[in-house]
Amino acid sequence: MDQGYESRKNKQYSRLFRRFIILTVICSLVPLLLAGWGINIHYSRFAKERMVKTLETRVDYHRKIIELFLKENRAKLDFIASTHSIASLSKNNQLNQILTSVNRDAWTLTDIGIIDENGNHLAYVGPYDLIDKNYSSTFWFKEVMEKGSYTSDMFMGFRKEPHFVMAVIKIENGKRWIVRTTVNTDRFCSLVEDVRLGTTGEVYILNYKGIYQTNPNSGGKIMTQDPEFESDIHDGLTFRCIEHFDRDNKTRKIICEIWLQDPKWLLVVKVDEKELFAEVGLANRATLVSLHFSALVILIVALFITRHMILIIKKRDLEVEQINTQLMQAGKLAAIGELSAGVAHEINNPLAIIITERQLLLDMEKRMPISDEAFGEQFNGSLAQIDTQVLRCKHITRNLLRFARRTQSVIEKVNINEFLGEVINLMEREAKSGGIEFSCSLDESIPAILSDPSQLQQVFLNFINNAIDAHEDNGFGVITLSTGLAKDNAGIIIIVEDTGKGIKGENIEKIFDPFFTTKAPGRGTGLGLSICYNIVKQLGGTIQVESKVKKGTRFTLTFPFTPPEDFMKPESTHGKK
Amino acid sequence: MIGSKILLVDDEEIFADNMAKLLQNRQYKVTAVYNGESAIKALEKENFDVVVLDLKMPGMNGIATLKEIKNLGLFTETLLLTGHGSVDAAVEAIRMGAYDFLEKPCAIDELVEKIEGAWKKKDEAWKKDLEEKLKKVVESPSAVFKLFD
Repeated sequence: MDQGYESRKNKQYSRLFRRFIILTVICSLVPLLLAGWGINIHYSRFAKERMVKTLETRVDYHRKIIELFLKENRAKLDFIASTHSIASLSKNNQLNQILTSVNRDAWTLTDIGIIDENGNHLAYVGPYDLIDKNYSSTFWFKEVMEKGSYTSDMFMGFRKEPHFVMAVIKIENGKRWIVRTTVNTDRFCSLVEDVRLGTTGEVYILNYKGIYQTNPNSGGKIMTQDPEFESDIHDGLTFRCIEHFDRDNKTRKIICEIWLQDPKWLLVVKVDEKELFAEVGLANRATLVSLHFSALVILIVALFITRHMILIIKKRDLEVEQINTQLMQAGKLAAIGELSAGVAHEINNPLAIIITERQLLLDMEKRMPISDEAFGEQFNGSLAQIDTQVLRCKHITRNLLRFARRTQSVIEKVNINEFLGEVINLMEREAKSGGIEFSCSLDESIPAILSDPSQLQQVFLNFINNAIDAHEDNGFGVITLSTGLAKDNAGIIIIVEDTGKGIKGENIEKIFDPFFTTKAPGRGTGLGLSICYNIVKQLGGTIQVESKVKKGTRFTLTFPFTPPEDFMKPESTHGKK
Repeated sequence: MIGSKILLVDDEEIFADNMAKLLQNRQYKVTAVYNGESAIKALEKENFDVVVLDLKMPGMNGIATLKEIKNLGLFTETLLLTGHGSVDAAVEAIRMGAYDFLEKPCAIDELVEKIEGAWKKKDEAWKKDLEEKLKKVVESPSAVFKLFD
């Protein structure tokens, strides 16, 4: 096969390989990845929504707690104002009792003060010394006087520390009094701040200007401005995302905000997005890793399977090519067979005429003997020669017809020594052209055997042909044919030995296999020795082979004196091959 | 049997003529024809003891001719001449009732031997038939009229 053909074939296989791979990728990987990614995106969204919902619930719950705390303290203040007279409230010991009793469960109110319309303290109980302070100029005094009740933002005031106050107006005898209390800042702050939301989560409160009302965890301080504050008063929960740049790290924070009703404070919950969605991210990554791993495995398996398939296809193609070559060869042989049968048949007719003509002359001579002795001698000699030559032609046509396998197997007496001589005659010309000589070592004492000469001819022509081919590289050599009696006297031995290139050890087992050949494509069908083996077996013989590479090969054949009984049965006459 | 009547059928005219001469030299009464149709016509006209028939002929071949001969229901035996390759056809012809076959080219002595064999077979069959007819005559004399049918 030429190089161009080979490379064209290889290109075809590569193209086939690529097509298979692309098809596999399109049919399995693309749907898998699309479905995987789709499910992953859907799941992420769903999981995130669930997370946000949970966060929302917690924030709302927290809002309710803070509002409840403020309401409770306001209620306490209202209760104090409505159930006690100014006279009783103005007495410090009574006020102290009231403070102690309202703080019985938890010390949520730091102090209580009763202030008149001018801003002066009538009474005060608490840890600070504020009895002499005048509040008429403070913002909360003005607010409470105006609104009747008021809860302030965090401020420093006279005590110089962050706190906020709740105040209500109490009207008694046409006069207005203010009952004021300070909510325990520490308690309030811890109520807000102590909510734990992972490691990075924080909760704080801002007033409507964005001033911290509690301490944020990350930077900032109570009563300072929140830089991320966006003044937007709205109902319900809002979410927004902000990005933090910390050196090289960029972090995204989710801010969840909700306004309290009174005072107008903003409850802010700030969570690191990564932490909030950590589980989702982990699940996401696990899914994507397993998805891509599966895709990779599919791709690798597809590559392996495709490679394997291409190898199988290559092998099949090669076999088909070989079979095609063999079929062509067989077809050629069949055509030659048909042709020879026709030729042989046509020659038989003139031969038949020649024989009758000779017989007519003989008949004539019987009736009218030739008087001239020399003429008579020549006449008879010529007629005898005609008979001999016609017989020779008859043999040729018979052989041709045998080749065409038109005849039945004929068991005849075969003198193997003479028979081998005929075979050598047939092959001598071809052997000589290859520089090969025949050498014979024939045992003249061996008896004739009963066998099928046409099949024997096929066997020996094949062996000698192979022997000639084995000398191809040398250009010279000897083919030795020997005969003799078999050891146990059960038949005869024929040895065909050559001085050719020999058979490699690994091939010696295979030489009788059908279609096994080491000859170049088109030169051998690999059927010759296989057919020989079958013929020899059918004739009841055996074949042994010995070979040395570069030294030569020796085939030892044995044949019985008579073929097996079943040889003449129809199915065995022409062999099964 | 000297004087036996032989019909030679072969499309190879020279072969048929030569064979006829050789058989005549051996005291046979020989008619040579060159195709199957002529052979049937000749058989319809007169009786022959043995028909020597070539298998491979243009037009009506040996097998077809043999079939026709058998259809005629004559007391005659058929010998087939075949090329080496048509042994299978010859075997089929024997199954159809031919006496034997000979491979071409063949020696005259071989042919004579086979003709003698064929004649004997024909003669035996004829005699057997005659005996049966005679038996019937003995059993019922009116059958005498059928004797020469």
